Amino acid sequence: MKLTPPDRFLRLVRPPDSPAPAEIGRRQIYIFPTKPGLVFGVLVMLLLAGSMNYGNNLGFMLAFLLAALGLVATLHTWRNLLGLQLTPGKAEPVFAGQDARFEILLHNPSGGPRPGIRLEMAGVEPVETDLTPRASASLHLTEPSANRGLLRLGRFMVSSRYPLGLLRSWCYVELESDCMIYPAPGPKMPASDTPDYSHSQQGDKGIGVDDFVGIRPYRSGDSLKHINWKSLAREQGLQTKQFGGDRSEKRWLDWTALSGLDAEAKLSRLCRGVLDACDTSQEFGLRLPGVEIPPSRGQKHRHQCLQALALYGVEP
Amino acid sequence: MINGLQRHLNQRELNALTLLLFLAVVPHFFNLSIWISLFFGAAVALRLFFNRQKNPFPKRWLMTILTLIALINLFIQYPIPFFRTAAVALLVSMLGLKLLEVKQRRDLYVVVFLGYFTLITQFLYRQDMLLAIYAFTVLLGLTAILVETSRHQPSGSLLAPVREALKLILQAVPVMIILFVFFPRLSGPLWNLGLGDESAVTGLSDKIRPGAISQLSQSREVAFRVHFEGAAPPPNQRYWRGPIFWDTDGVEWNLGRELPTRELTLNLGKEQYHYNVILEPTQQKWLFALDLPNRLPAETRITPDFQLKRREAVNQRVSYSVSSSPVYNTGDIYEDEWIRGLTLPDSITPRMEQLVSRWQRQGSSPADVVNQALSFFRQEPFYYTLLPPLVEENPADQFLFDTRRGFCEHYATSFTLLMRVAGIPARVVTGYQGGEINPMGDYLIVRQSDAHAWSEVWLEGQGWVRVDPTAAVAPERIERTFDFDLTGDQIGTPISFDIPESDFLKDLARQVRWGFDAINTGWHRWVLGYTHDRQSDLMQKLGLEFLKGQYLAFAMIGLTAIIMLIIGIYLWRTSREKVDAIQAAYLHFCKKLARRGVERAPSEGPQDFAKRATKARPDLKMEIHKITRLYIALRYGQVNSKAQQQQLQRLIRGFKA
Repeated sequence: MKLTPPDRFLRLVRPPDSPAPAEIGRRQIYIFPTKPGLVFGVLVMLLLAGSMNYGNNLGFMLAFLLAALGLVATLHTWRNLLGLQLTPGKAEPVFAGQDARFEILLHNPSGGPRPGIRLEMAGVEPVETDLTPRASASLHLTEPSANRGLLRLGRFMVSSRYPLGLLRSWCYVELESDCMIYPAPGPKMPASDTPDYSHSQQGDKGIGVDDFVGIRPYRSGDSLKHINWKSLAREQGLQTKQFGGDRSEKRWLDWTALSGLDAEAKLSRLCRGVLDACDTSQEFGLRLPGVEIPPSRGQKHRHQCLQALALYGVEP
Repeated sequence: MINGLQRHLNQRELNALTLLLFLAVVPHFFNLSIWISLFFGAAVALRLFFNRQKNPFPKRWLMTILTLIALINLFIQYPIPFFRTAAVALLVSMLGLKLLEVKQRRDLYVVVFLGYFTLITQFLYRQDMLLAIYAFTVLLGLTAILVETSRHQPSGSLLAPVREALKLILQAVPVMIILFVFFPRLSGPLWNLGLGDESAVTGLSDKIRPGAISQLSQSREVAFRVHFEGAAPPPNQRYWRGPIFWDTDGVEWNLGRELPTRELTLNLGKEQYHYNVILEPTQQKWLFALDLPNRLPAETRITPDFQLKRREAVNQRVSYSVSSSPVYNTGDIYEDEWIRGLTLPDSITPRMEQLVSRWQRQGSSPADVVNQALSFFRQEPFYYTLLPPLVEENPADQFLFDTRRGFCEHYATSFTLLMRVAGIPARVVTGYQGGEINPMGDYLIVRQSDAHAWSEVWLEGQGWVRVDPTAAVAPERIERTFDFDLTGDQIGTPISFDIPESDFLKDLARQVRWGFDAINTGWHRWVLGYTHDRQSDLMQKLGLEFLKGQYLAFAMIGLTAIIMLIIGIYLWRTSREKVDAIQAAYLHFCKKLARRGVERAPSEGPQDFAKRATKARPDLKMEIHKITRLYIALRYGQVNSKAQQQQLQRLIRGFKA
């Protein structure tokens, strides 16, 4: 049963200001019987008609009890959403075409449980959880991404059929949550005419790939390939092997180097370039029109570059 | 995409569903043919077997075979599918099949709803309190299944959904009571499906055959119960009027055709009794009332010979209110009554005529003849006995002159015949006489053993007058309810009315019986017997007599809305966290820090917050740690003393950021 009133009549649940969670208020909850609920209604009517015909007072009692249960369940289904707090969580970046996963944190501030809380979004698989008293849970809404850029979490519904499944209460929620969509990696970068390598002017600083220089403690971002497994086996902790050489491989991924392609294709290839460079632990920099990211390496750098690609030419 | 309704059921849900459905059907085993019950039992057993299998859903071919078996079984057991029991048999068979077919959540709803339906059909057969309690318990279980299945994950304990369902039901009960009390009751059925099963019912019949009433007298079954407004009439006035007999062939008495309806001229005394009767099913149209009814219940008419007759036969317990006047004068006699009241059968013998003419010689007026007849019964060796010798050819003559042992029906019929011989219009009245007051519920219980027959004669200036010849023979019968012990009675043995009052055990048994009957009567009166009349009575007592018809419905809706509002407000309030003293103090502490720029993030735990706060304000390190440690211990730890709580509050009050 999907009933969506026109937008301007819609009562939305929105956070008052960003850090505070969005709380579902009592006038933002819609409620309607489910299919079993409608059948239940017909059943109660039938039982009532039968009891009237036979003048059977116990029948009346049972029919009235069921009717009253339906009424009380309405309130409880409404109550199951009332006061529920929602906060946008993390949304890990993905490549265009992959599914963006938006984390949504649900908090139950009351002393009673709230089972069967479900998040629904058009065209997206609904997710469900049971909230215990004064507890939080996180659910992920998976939304397919088409284009690079920032994907804003769309309007979604929080719904519940608890306690009897005869009624469904729901409300529309809009949370400020964005997922970074990197460009889809394209084919390999073509070999460029201009050399990618530049000799280090200041000599070797122990960053290279050619010769073994020594070991240093592991820092996050170091490639797995350079971990000194032997020392780990000796229980000396994580250590990274350092290599040096007379030239360090610094590669520039350059927009201008790609010619004869449209912007999106260029971005795709640059994206591939960034990924390849990261895989081979090359130090690289990125040049886009108006953007230059100096050569570096590591996860943070990777994200910075991919983000620049994702947001290139996108209106903020 | 998994639609909620298509989710498969888990084993626990299947087991619980099977068990509850079985329980919902169990009382029907007494109502249905054994083969229907066996089929259902087999279906349940199969379901339990499949529940243990990896794939708990039977194959289609098996379902087809089972459906065929069910149909054949139904056809053999109930070839005429229009009766109530046949309909219930169909329901039970279907339920068995559906249970086997259950797979998805959608099926679960269907089965639970069918379960509710099955429960209500139990009340077509029995309506006692025990069954009601049983049915509502099963209803609780079925509701708990709905609760369980509307969760995401199965709940930890089986009791949790039951507790939740109980909570829902307890909140629904006030609404149910409002609906029950105020829902406008119709005085008759909406339509008659004619699905009722005829069952043998003890009670007065439309014929008096020799021995008919004495047979009834052996039954301790309750005929009806009466609640009086004010005092009950004395025992010798408790004549509950029922069928009136005019015509006889000498052996059997018949009702004959009913007298045509006409305006009744009655002269009633001031004294009146108002009372409410709960009548057990009789399968007849008569209602019973004290002599002489003057206010009629709904759907009832009064015949010229003062029988109360309902439009429909009483095939279930009914409750009605009547008023009666013990002092009355029915005035003149109509021609048809005169003719029928004097019609004699061929069985009148010369010795009966001689007897009557002897009385007529002694006293001239009809009233004198009546008295002569009564003293004849009193003075001649007549005995009142439950087991009279069999008289077949001419019961009246043989009884009067040969056997002289009989029950009320013998006295009443022979007396009536003698009156007719004397030229006094007379008729036989059957009904009940007496009744036992239950001191625990302050009402009168009239049993089948109180069935009685007496005469009415028409006397100039007095109208129809009640004459009970039995009272002349056995006045104790009239003064006291008929409570006897059948053991060892020989044919013709006079009935002894001596009840051993001192017998402690007997007395105790009577007390228990009374107590049980009082509870049961409350149940009958307020639950089962809550009809159109009772509803009007209750509204009148509540001072709400203006609530009639649609206004009752408005009141019902209004009161329901009020209750719903109360529950709604209660639920709304519990949806917010109650901030306890410990937390309030801690929040105060956070506020103080926030004023100095150290704000706690909503997801930040107290420990992380303390770490951050001490970094920002190293000068307050000691205090922050002390407060945080105490707060954590109080809120999450085992510490829970008033002193420590006060210490926390003191520390926070003294905390200066």
